[in-house]
Parts: sequence; C-alpha cells; structure tokens
Amino acid sequence: MNVQALLPLPVVIPIAGAICALLLGRLHRRLPLLVGIVAMAASLGVLLVIASRVLAGHGHVITVYFSDERPFSGRALGIAFSADPFGIVVALLAAALGAVLLTCAMSELGHLGRRELGLLACLSLLMLAGVIGAALTDDLINLFVWFEVAGLASFGLTGFFLEQPTALEAAFKATVLTSIGGFVIFTGSAMLYTVTGALNLGQLQQALPDTVSHSIAVGVALVVCGYAVKAGLVPFHAWLPDAHAAGPGAVSAMFSAILVDLGVVGLVRMLICTRLVLPRLGDLLMWLGITSGVVGALMALAQDDLKRLLAWDTVSQSGIIVVGFASNNPEGIAGAVYHLANHGLFKALLFLSAGAVLHATGLGKLSELGGLWRQRRVLTAGFTVGALAISGVPPLNGYASLGLIHQGIADKPAVHLLAAIAQVLTVAALARATYLGFYRPRAQEYEHLETQHVGMRISLGSLAIGCAAFGVLPALIVPRIAAPAASFVLFTGAHAAGVTTGVTTLPDLSIPAGLPGGTDLLTSLAEVIIGILLAAAYIRWGEPRPVGWLRRLHTGSVNDYATFAVAGLVLVCVTLLA
Amino acid sequence: MIVVNYVAAGCVFCIGLFAVVARRDVIKIVMGLSLMEASTYLLLVSMAYRRGATAPLLSNPPSGQTQRDVVHGTVSDPVLQNFCLTAIVIGIAVTAVFLTLAVRVAQHYRSVDAADATALRG
Repeated sequence: MNVQALLPLPVVIPIAGAICALLLGRLHRRLPLLVGIVAMAASLGVLLVIASRVLAGHGHVITVYFSDERPFSGRALGIAFSADPFGIVVALLAAALGAVLLTCAMSELGHLGRRELGLLACLSLLMLAGVIGAALTDDLINLFVWFEVAGLASFGLTGFFLEQPTALEAAFKATVLTSIGGFVIFTGSAMLYTVTGALNLGQLQQALPDTVSHSIAVGVALVVCGYAVKAGLVPFHAWLPDAHAAGPGAVSAMFSAILVDLGVVGLVRMLICTRLVLPRLGDLLMWLGITSGVVGALMALAQDDLKRLLAWDTVSQSGIIVVGFASNNPEGIAGAVYHLANHGLFKALLFLSAGAVLHATGLGKLSELGGLWRQRRVLTAGFTVGALAISGVPPLNGYASLGLIHQGIADKPAVHLLAAIAQVLTVAALARATYLGFYRPRAQEYEHLETQHVGMRISLGSLAIGCAAFGVLPALIVPRIAAPAASFVLFTGAHAAGVTTGVTTLPDLSIPAGLPGGTDLLTSLAEVIIGILLAAAYIRWGEPRPVGWLRRLHTGSVNDYATFAVAGLVLVCVTLLA
Repeated sequence: MIVVNYVAAGCVFCIGLFAVVARRDVIKIVMGLSLMEASTYLLLVSMAYRRGATAPLLSNPPSGQTQRDVVHGTVSDPVLQNFCLTAIVIGIAVTAVFLTLAVRVAQHYRSVDAADATALRG
C-alpha cells in the first residue's frame, strides 16, 4: 500500500468530523461528541499505519506534495506534508489523547444542550486537526496556518462558558497574546521567504547562508517568539495559566497536554533549520526553557487553585521539554521526545482528576478541599499516579524521560543544576496539592458530592495505565520511537534530503535503552525527598517573600502581559543579532 | 523593495503595539492589534515589489511583450501577495472573535476597561 497517499487523511478526517458534528448535532444531543470520538479514532488508526512505516528500522521521512506539485529545479513551491519520527509522535499523541479526552468530555459535559455539545465537538476537532496538521506539515506558512486554526478553535474553547467572568477574561488575554504571536510568526516567515526564497522547511535549511545576515536573524527571532508564545515559555507565558485553567476539565487537559505541543513543534522546526548556521538559537532556547522550568514550578507551588496550579506546571514542563530539544545532544533530544508524550499522559490525567474534583465538590481551591481519599478512591488514585509520574518516581513514566533529559544536559552544570531545582519545586508543588486536596483531614464532611460517571473512570484508568506502561517500557520506546526522532532532529541533512525524494532513511542513532544506572535513581529519590520536605515547609510556614514578588509581577493586566512578550521579543532579537 | 514602505510599516506596527501595551480600553487594544496586522500587509506587499516590476499575470501580457518576456522580466512576487490575502482572511476571523469578546466584556463588566478584568492574577 502507498503510505504517502495516506498522509493528508489524519487531518482531513477530524476536519470532516468537525463539520459532521455540527450537522448531526441537530439529530441527537450525544451524536457530535460520538462523531468526534470516531473521527479521532479513525485518524489515530491512519496515523498508526503511517507510524509503522516511519518508525520501521532506524526511522524514515515520508514526504508528499499536494496536487503533485513537486519541487522544480530544487525549489519547492507546492505545500508538502512529511511524516518524520518527531512529527508522528506529536500527531499520534494528539489523536490518541484527543479520543480519550472527548470520551471524557461526553461523560463530564453530557448534560449540556444540543447546540453547546455540537460546538464543543466541532471546536475540539478543529483544534486537534490544527495540532496534527502542524506536526505533519513541512512548510513554514502552512505551519502558521495550522497555528491559526488551532488558535482560533482554542479561543472558542477557552471562552466556552462565556457567562463565567474568568473564562471571558482568560479568553481575552489568550486571544491578545496569541494574536501578537501570530503576527510575528507571519512577518518572520515572510522575511525568511524574501531572503532565501524558500518556504519548504527542508529547502529553507539548505538555502540559509553560512553567515547569517541581520534580516535572517530577525526573521528567525520573530518566528521563534511566536511559537514560544504558544509553548508558554517565560516571558511569553503569562496568558497560559489563565487560559488553561478556565475551561472544563477535559478542555483544560486538551490545552495542556496537546495544544502546547504545537508551540514546541514550531520551535523544534526552527532549531532543525538553523542548527548549523545559528547555533546561538539553541543556547537561547535552553535558557528560556530552564527559566520557564523554574518560574513555572515556583508559581505552581504558590497556587491555591488546583487547576491553575496544574496550568503553571505546564509552563514548567514545556520549558523542560524545550531544554531537552535545545540540548543538541542525542540523550537530551530523545528524552524530550519521550517527555513530550509522558507530559501529555500525566497532565491529561491530572487535569481530568482536577475537573472531576470540581464536578464532585463544586470547589476548586486547595484551602477548601481535603479528605477526598475517603469518598473518592478512584479519583484520588488517579491524581496520585499523575503526581508521582510527574515527580519522577520509578517505575512511572516521568522517571525515564527526565533521566534522559538530565543526562543530555549533564555537560552544562548551570543548566543541570537549575533543571534539578525545577524538578524539586515541581515535586513540592504536586506533593502540596495532593496532600491538601486529597489526604489532609477535613474538619467537616462535604455537604453534597456529585456522582462520578463511568466514562470518567474509564478515562482516568486508561491514562493511569498509559503512565505506568510508558514508565516500564523504556527499553521498547527509547530505541524504537525516541531514538529515530532524536536522529531526525539531530542529523539535519535527513530533513533537507526529504524535500526531493519520497522516502528518506534516517541514520542510526543508538541511545542507551535500559533504565539509567544507580546514580539516576539516587538523584531522582533525593529530588523527591527534598521536594516533599519543601512542600511540608511551605504548608507549615507559608509563602516566602521572593515568591510573593514573583506573584505580584503577574498583575492580571493584559497590557502588562503584552509588555512581557514585547520585552521577550526584544531580548530574543538582540541575542540572535549579537 | 520600497524602503519608505518598510519604515511606514514599522511605524504603524509600533503605534499598534503602543495601543496594546499602554491603553486599557478594550476597543483600543483591538484597534491596536488591527493596526499591527495592517502593518504586516504593507510590509509583505512592499517586500513582494521589485523596481519596475509588473503584476504577476502571465495571461494577456502588456502590449509589445510576449509571455516569455514577462516570465523572464521582473514581476512582483505572487507568493507574498498570496500570503497577504491569507493574512487578511485570518485577520478578519480574529478581529471578529475579538469584537465578540469585547461585547461580552462590555456587557458583563459594564465598562470596557481591561483593568476591570484582572481577577486571574499571580
């Protein structure tokens, strides 16, 4: 069978599903979400067929040009889709988690009206199509178009319950910041095209001259800043905690577990293109990433709202993922690919649990919650598994991927130390949330607890099993999935060659598959213990003053957040021009 | 390439950015974003232009020129003009979303001051 012909399908199916969902919603209330689940499952099936070809052997890159507009004398003007081991991981994650989360949305939000459910399914499918399209496209402007598709759908989802003032506020901030990101991506892409005449990412990489001119540096800087807004890197991050905490649990999970990856995809594509000519970009992204890692974790530790805490943790985790990709080291990149999938799994699990807590008790603040482990065993188990996975407790999935990332940055002591600090803070934040929300004895019983739906239990269970499976199977995942992806990101020539030929084979890259040795286990254990002690100290003595300053910096004003983003833009431009 | 247009695009972008960064009125923020967007159109169309270039139309070449002359002569870059059209379409969608939100903000807070909508902080 010709796999190339299948490449557009994973995007076409969800878009067709989005239209069908709106139309079929008139027949029955539950049909739209059902269509959504079927569409995502079908998309997942096609992606699995493609993945079996892409990940075979040492990995392949499969390219297809739409309407058969093949490159002419080395210039690709047609739009290409190319399935590479990195992109396919993101696409698979989006399709699989999308199916699970839509199942969960059906049980959590099934009481809504016909129109609302139709719109919810339509917007979710469009957003997922945007992420899958961004993961598969091989064209700079097409990447921007998918960014806007996912962006517009996400504005709708953020403000889905517009009657809630916080949702309205979050949607406005997200729209302003993401729009600024969109403008700079667009201008940057156009500048790169004007200077190099290339839109195809592989061709762009070949067309970039060895000595980078000012206009190319500015173009790259603008594109990077735009995708950094979506990935939630500090200082472009301030909208993210608001937007990701505003929606219902399943929607928040979709944002944090899937949508953030779109920004990471854009950043990685730029890293691949400019690895040889602009190595400063890697260092810059590493510092931006590690700053996000620390700031996000610190802010997560200080939150009282459970969902907002998880959203801040997304800032932190996405920073750590970017650090892995920017490390320019096989272990680091393989770890980042692995962590991308792991973060999707455990963050979806945590957000679903938080949504279920909100649904059951009607309370979202840690100071008002507590004692849930007696009444809600499944929910407590789900949240605890997610918190343990994020904390890097073996044998859950965070341990293996974080170990690889830390190994990848071991030659940069300052970054390594900051990554360890970020991890300790993450453990502390999650330990505090788990204790205060679930295990702390509560003075009085809850007046009323809503019943929990079966769909929610199934989703929580499957995600928890996913977390455990990804944790115990690194010997399978690292060499078969993460190593080809790292090979694709690291050996830039492979991508450039993919411009002209249909299927390219990637060079072999062997990464130690087994669990890293005893030192890693000890480090991880030490981080967990220090983190738990820190959480205890935090609960006992409250917030230290510097954290208060950091919190006061996030004023909630959209003007200030735009100012942060502009400052970041200037910083990135100056660094790349220097 | 028209340098004056680049400078103008830069100025319009900065004016829009100033509105987004320094104005609290929601409508003015939306106007600022629209200005930023418009400046990208100007920049793109200017980047597409080359001195003495004709429109990138290959059918019906200007009198005295064959189609081959047009192909080998200077035409402005159709790809960038195409982006511009794409951007205009996306821009309209985004502005519509913005104005919807602005209407809801005005209905809910009974004002269009962005400083009223700062419940989510820290």
